[in-house]
Formats: sequence, C-alpha cells, structure tokens
Amino acid sequence: MTTMNLRKTVTLVDEIHTEGGQAVSPVARTAVVAAVIDNPWAGQGFVADLAPGIDAIAPQLGALLAPLVVKALGSPVEAYGKGAVVGLDGEVEHGSALIHTLKFGDHFREAASATTLLPAVEKRAAAGTVFDIPLKHITDATVRSHHQSVEVRIPDAPRADEIVIALAAAAQGRPQARLAPLKSEQ
Amino acid sequence: MSASANPSGGPSAGPSAPPSGNPIRRIVTSCEELAGELGTPVRTPVRRGAVAVAVRNPWARRGIVADLQPEVEELAPLLAREIADRLTAMLGGPESITAFGKAALVGLDGEAEHGDALIHTPYFGNVLRELLHGTSIIAFSEERAAAGTTVTVPVWHKTEAATRSHYAATQIRVPDGPRPDELLITAAAATGPRPNARIGDRRTDPVVTLRDLQSTAAQAAPEATEAREGTR
Repeated sequence: MTTMNLRKTVTLVDEIHTEGGQAVSPVARTAVVAAVIDNPWAGQGFVADLAPGIDAIAPQLGALLAPLVVKALGSPVEAYGKGAVVGLDGEVEHGSALIHTLKFGDHFREAASATTLLPAVEKRAAAGTVFDIPLKHITDATVRSHHQSVEVRIPDAPRADEIVIALAAAAQGRPQARLAPLKSEQ
Repeated sequence: MSASANPSGGPSAGPSAPPSGNPIRRIVTSCEELAGELGTPVRTPVRRGAVAVAVRNPWARRGIVADLQPEVEELAPLLAREIADRLTAMLGGPESITAFGKAALVGLDGEAEHGDALIHTPYFGNVLRELLHGTSIIAFSEERAAAGTTVTVPVWHKTEAATRSHYAATQIRVPDGPRPDELLITAAAATGPRPNARIGDRRTDPVVTLRDLQSTAAQAAPEATEAREGTR
C-alpha cells in the first residue's frame, strides 16, 4: 500500500475561441490532468482505518498532478477544482480519502498560489463515465465569474479496482461572463 | 446596462454585435501517457496525443454544394496548422513523433462528404505530413455524429505505414461538438509504438492461408475434424 501503482496519466487542454458567436479574447483555457491508479484498498473488504493509505498515496498524487496541470495550462491559474472517480468495486470513500486531505490539496494550492477550498466531484462509476469537475476562484470562492465546470472522460478508466484522480485549472472565468457579482444581490 | 453587469471588465459586446469571423469555436487537446499495463510497467512508455477542432461547417444550410474546393483551400490548411502546432508542442517536436492519424466527425446537419473534403485533400494532409515530418499516407476514420461523441483516431508509422508495432488508436472528445452545423476535425500522433508491442511484423510472419489453417485445425483435433467430415 505504500507505493502508488500508476497505469497512465491523461492531460486535456480546452480552448474556447468563440462563444455565443462572439470572439473570446484572450482564448479561454482550461486544463485537466488525471491519474489512473490502482485503488490502494481494493480486495481488502471494509477497511476501517484509511489513514495509512492516505498518508502513503495522497502526497504522491498531489506532487505528481499539481505541477503537470499548471504546466499544461501554461498561464497563471485563476480557478481550480479536483475530482475522484472510484471504480465499481471500491467505495466512494476511497476516492474522497485521496483528495480530501491537505496532503493532496496543498500541492495544488502551492503550485497555483491559491488559498481557498478546492471544489470537488467524487463518484463511483464504470470506465468511460463522463465526470464534471467544478472550478472556483483560487483566492475568493464567491467570485461569480469564475464558477464553471470542465467535462472529462477516459474511455478505459476507472476499471473496477482503480481510481481516477484529477485536477483542473482555468486561466480565467467563464467565456463571456457577464453576471452581476454576488454582492450586488446582498 | 450597469457597469456591474460586466464584472470581468472585458469588452462588452453590444446587443447587435456582429458574429466573430473566426470559424473555429473550440479546440481540445488531449494526451495520454501510458506507464503500466495489467499492474506491470510497460516496456516502452509512450505518449499519444490528439487535437480536435470544432469548426463551423462552411457548407451548412446550403444543400448539396457542387464545388467544395474554395472552402477546402481556405480552411483545410488553417486547421492542419492549428492541429500540428499543438501536437508538436505537446509531444516534444516533430522528431519525437513517430506515428500519426486523422479523423473527421460531421455534425448531424452536414454531409459526410464535408468532413472528407477537409481531411482527404492535400490542403490538409500534405500540410499535416510536412509539419510532422512524415511521408506515409495518413490513417483515418470518419463518421457523422451528435455532439459529445468520442472519436477514435487511428495512427500508424509516419514514414513506414506497414510497421505493425505502431498500429494503434487514441480517443478524443469535445463535450458540445460538433454541433449540427459544425465539423470536428482531428488528428493524433504518438511518440512510439504500442507500449508492449509483441505481435511480430510482416517480415517475421509465417505464410498463413485458409488451407494452412484447416490443416492446423485437423492436426490439433483430428477426431472433431473427422466427425465433421463424416456428416457431409
């Protein structure tokens, strides 16, 4: 359980050049990097204490994914999020264990110069499921222009005994964002 | 409209702003790096990348257009460059790339020929081949489909197309493309062979014919073969 068994990493870069028929300038960029790993608790029945696995795997995942997603974005990060998709034989708690710990998230916060909580999606699903990672502003989660999501699908993952762990980063808010700020309604 | 209605501070398009002249709406770039297979590190770590461009179908809502050439000449080289630039940047330059392929998804209101027009002419293929330093014919797939369809893009060796170790494919998907009046034009590339390639090649294959296979089956299971022949 002490080493992370990595099958592959998947990187996505999404660019929106026009939206609503209007040019988006600069082009809106969002990046996602996902790791497909063996579920460290697979085949062990109900494991009461997840801490040893978290301590072993979560820091490795954070250290792997955070620099990759920042590099893939290629611009300062303004919004960010994370996700875990657990294969069918696992518990959702296994995915939550690996992403809902500072041992994972602080790698991304440091790489992105961020301070806020990371919004997250976590679910159990078959390989090839589509999952949406929510993103919010990296220093002020109430900045409405930066509430957005990015869609991810990996055709052959997660297998039943695997977990997909992903980080998402955006260089801006929504393309053509034009909603009044939260404080205008308070 | 109050100033607070545009909190991003970006330029606010007026109520009758003209549409953008850019036919490209969205570009998705993907890369998978294969590290392990069935719990074992792979022999050759390989990266496979793909780029998909959601672009306005220039022939949408015009019925059967007889001459596709003017739009092909304008659009195909532009798409090939946008795609090749991203593939080379992601995979470490044209010299790192050993295999390539392409694909077209036609949105539901288009004609299959529209996708073919943009990927099966020298205005696309030659530009892509030159920018990726290849010489082979380029592997391809094509279909008409709804937005969000996953495209499987085949790849093979960029200078020796018959090199079996490099026969592979990768997948890419744009969640909201192609819209019915769009095309999704894609290309893919790989930095090496299949990570655990071990099925020989044309030069090492034995001669295999139907007759050979029948005699092999007869040696393996003579009773079953006799019984089957006895029923004729």
